[in-house]
Amino acid sequence: MNSDQYILGISAYYHDSAAAIIKDGVIIAAAQEERFTRVKHDPRFPVNAINYCLEEAFIEPGDLSAVVFYDHPVLTYDRVMKNCAYAGADSFETFSTATKSILGIKLWVDKHVKQAIGTAGQLGKVIFAGHHMSHAASSFYTSPFEEAAIVSVDGVGEWSTTTIAHGKGRDIQLLQEINYPNSLGLLYSAFTYYCGFKVNSGEYKLMGLAPYGKPVYVKEIYDHLIDVKEDGSYRLNMDYFGFLSTHKTTNDKFHQLFGGEPRQPESAITKKEMDLAASIQQVTEEIFIKIARHAKKITGSNNLCLSGGVALNCVANGKLLKENIFEHIWIQPASGDAGGALGACYVARHLYYKEPRIAPNGKTDTQKGSYLGPGFTDHEIVAFLDRNKYVYTKYSEEEKNELLAKEIDKGKILGFFAGRMEFGPRSLGARSIIGDARNSTMQSKMNLKIKFRESFRPFAPAVLREDVNKYFDLDTDSPYMLIVAPVKEEIRKPVEAHADSDDMIPVINQIRSALPAITHVDYSARIQTVHQETNPKFYNLIHAFRKLTGCSVLVNTSFNVRGEPIVCSPKDAYLCFMRTDIDILVLENYVLLKEAQPKFEESENWQKKYELD
Amino acid sequence: MNRQLFLYHPTIGYKFIPNIKTRIQHENGGYLVRTNDWGFRSEIEFGKTKEAGKKRVLFFGDSFTAGDGVSNKYRFTDLLEQLIPGIEVFNFGLPGSGTDQQYLMYKEFGKDVECDLIVVTVLVENIRRIKSHYRYYFNSAGEKVVFQKPYFDFKNGEFELFNVPVESQPLKIEELPESEQGKVDTGGRFGMARSIVNALGLKELTQKVTKYQPVPEYNTADSPEWKVMKEILHRWSMDAQAKFLIIPLPLYQFTEETSDPKNYQARFGELKSQLNIEVFDPLPALKKYSAEERRNFRHKTDVHPTPEGHKAIAASIAAKISDMIR
Repeated sequence: MNSDQYILGISAYYHDSAAAIIKDGVIIAAAQEERFTRVKHDPRFPVNAINYCLEEAFIEPGDLSAVVFYDHPVLTYDRVMKNCAYAGADSFETFSTATKSILGIKLWVDKHVKQAIGTAGQLGKVIFAGHHMSHAASSFYTSPFEEAAIVSVDGVGEWSTTTIAHGKGRDIQLLQEINYPNSLGLLYSAFTYYCGFKVNSGEYKLMGLAPYGKPVYVKEIYDHLIDVKEDGSYRLNMDYFGFLSTHKTTNDKFHQLFGGEPRQPESAITKKEMDLAASIQQVTEEIFIKIARHAKKITGSNNLCLSGGVALNCVANGKLLKENIFEHIWIQPASGDAGGALGACYVARHLYYKEPRIAPNGKTDTQKGSYLGPGFTDHEIVAFLDRNKYVYTKYSEEEKNELLAKEIDKGKILGFFAGRMEFGPRSLGARSIIGDARNSTMQSKMNLKIKFRESFRPFAPAVLREDVNKYFDLDTDSPYMLIVAPVKEEIRKPVEAHADSDDMIPVINQIRSALPAITHVDYSARIQTVHQETNPKFYNLIHAFRKLTGCSVLVNTSFNVRGEPIVCSPKDAYLCFMRTDIDILVLENYVLLKEAQPKFEESENWQKKYELD
Repeated sequence: MNRQLFLYHPTIGYKFIPNIKTRIQHENGGYLVRTNDWGFRSEIEFGKTKEAGKKRVLFFGDSFTAGDGVSNKYRFTDLLEQLIPGIEVFNFGLPGSGTDQQYLMYKEFGKDVECDLIVVTVLVENIRRIKSHYRYYFNSAGEKVVFQKPYFDFKNGEFELFNVPVESQPLKIEELPESEQGKVDTGGRFGMARSIVNALGLKELTQKVTKYQPVPEYNTADSPEWKVMKEILHRWSMDAQAKFLIIPLPLYQFTEETSDPKNYQARFGELKSQLNIEVFDPLPALKKYSAEERRNFRHKTDVHPTPEGHKAIAASIAAKISDMIR
């Protein structure tokens, strides 16, 4: 192939549709459809994300060498058909829905692409990359490694649920796989559902809830639900699960095992849910580590690449890191299905076109900090603010950071909008809500008055890379907030023991460290190391805060409210700013104070607009 | 998400935000828009001083000139650079604008630009816009709002500019003074009937059967709209620092011969005969294409020119442009 080989990757139809584009193997852009449509986890064909990718590359659709879909709908249909044949009459509902879905939409990917952009590129047809190959490619080809073991674990994609592969140079060789219905992702989702959270988005809450409980159900899980071998292979006991024949992940037998019906969403969380969360988290970590050990054994590699939805379980990632099975671990920050769009691009480039890989340097990944979404120029921001007569002040970068550092120190909360939007589920300082990690009331204020979400949910620290070891038992890069590590003993504070009870509030309100807003109940923290090279704007803000206070840690949470996709545009940011108790909005170098803004009125109740996750 | 494309301008009403790089979703799959440092849709930066040895042509017009519906490189202005060796074209097109705003655009941004030719591509429909004081728009909440626009008119025998500085904020039609409520450009004649006919898919048939005349403002030389148009173009020709050319761009009804163009052709012809302004009519050249080709000059539902339409316009005017800059 000649230079200027553009490849567009697409993931769609399940959850979190996305598009990505690469040029000659270099990532140009990637974004989730939800950010544009403002529908969380939007599964629809990503016309807006595709449009954005072509915009960023600034090319015509006819310039695309290839358009690649991350999955193979025919294989998925094959699985659904065989699933239904196995389950018999009970599965009619599943069969009917899935058939309509797959035959109605998924087999027509080619048509949808042509409808959206008028062409399937120079190839004239869409390439289908394969679900787990897309996941594997998304982590390996963006990693710093020339050679690595690749583990991908998610709910299900086509037939596979867990794969181990070996990547070397431009090739990926699939070594072993575990097939549906045996799925670690679906097992975790079963507990997510049973504990009253939404499947495919509430898994993160379950992980956050786990440290409040005790793993008292681990034996029940191993005895009844899953049979795990020493090599990490496993088999689910389908007598306890509903997803073969219904739309529910669990069934009556599962409910009986754990003493009753699932928790109703939004009802009070009890000790039972906390213990269940702790138990499934421990089981997941144990299996995850066994799989990793086995991957090490069969590949002999010192490097590990992780992807798939389960790789977003940053607690398990932290435990895996501590096991020292591999010398280096790289986790794709968009590990869920969205990242499949990026992986699909690389499948086409390296496995279809057999183009050589740009030699990795062994140290830094090629994900560009995952700042792969839209950015907005000063001209665009000013045009937006002036058109609406919003009140702002422009500062130099240095003046702005000095001002913001002072305001954060006073307890003010910022909506921070800088540079290109993140690709993946985490806010990494481009679309973030920022606060003082030392402030003892910050967690409850952010949860209840800004995010409008459950009070138990922890917040993540963003820390200057060079200072991470001052505060945390971690001395490695974690730029994508995918690793959990303990807060240093030196900054911990003793807490009173609380009797096991259903009431989490006294436990939540305990001050556990000098950084109470980001110290979870088990003294852990989900760490983002901030690097001058990938996000100088965020780095400089934290640096200014360190200069003022001596502390190089800030709270960083996603710039959205519960159920809302992370903000994308200045308009999204302004709306979120005005709807919540965020004190200051920062749009690049333009600073807006809440009290200076014109009266804000909305014709509809925005809180009804977003479905709770 | 569509990026905001325009910013407020106190004299013209609005203009493109500078240095935008975006792709606009469209029925043809989408098109690329880039604006330069001056805030015009262009792949090149504008400068006042002309490069030695080059001929420079400035184009002013509305969305047909700015290129709604196609990427920059497919516009007739950009194609002219390929057809005529040694020229550079500055496209000052502004979507939704009237000839009044285009004249103001020239005065604000074009009059000090060294050039060999100034071309005003008047989409013939612009005559309706110059009598409007407001244009409507749907805001992000889906509400129909209006933005004020500048306009010229005769007052006590004097030709005056009104609505400057332009109000920056959108207004609701019902909040306008009663005398102003009829001054909103709603995009064409017979608004309600047009909606019904369009919804029924009978637009082209109806226009053909009724011999629809989309721009009756040209019917007589003394219509108030034509008087204003004529005065704007006259003043512009007088102000021009280089040769001056008017190209009346036909609506598709004229290209596809469902409406009679003779009245607007007569009016623009009078500019030449009465005021000695150079006018070039591309319609005869466009009509030489087959009916099928002419239908493909516009999109399926969007009336703006397709790449084929732009190509045909460029081909039809290239010789005239070339002659005038030699």
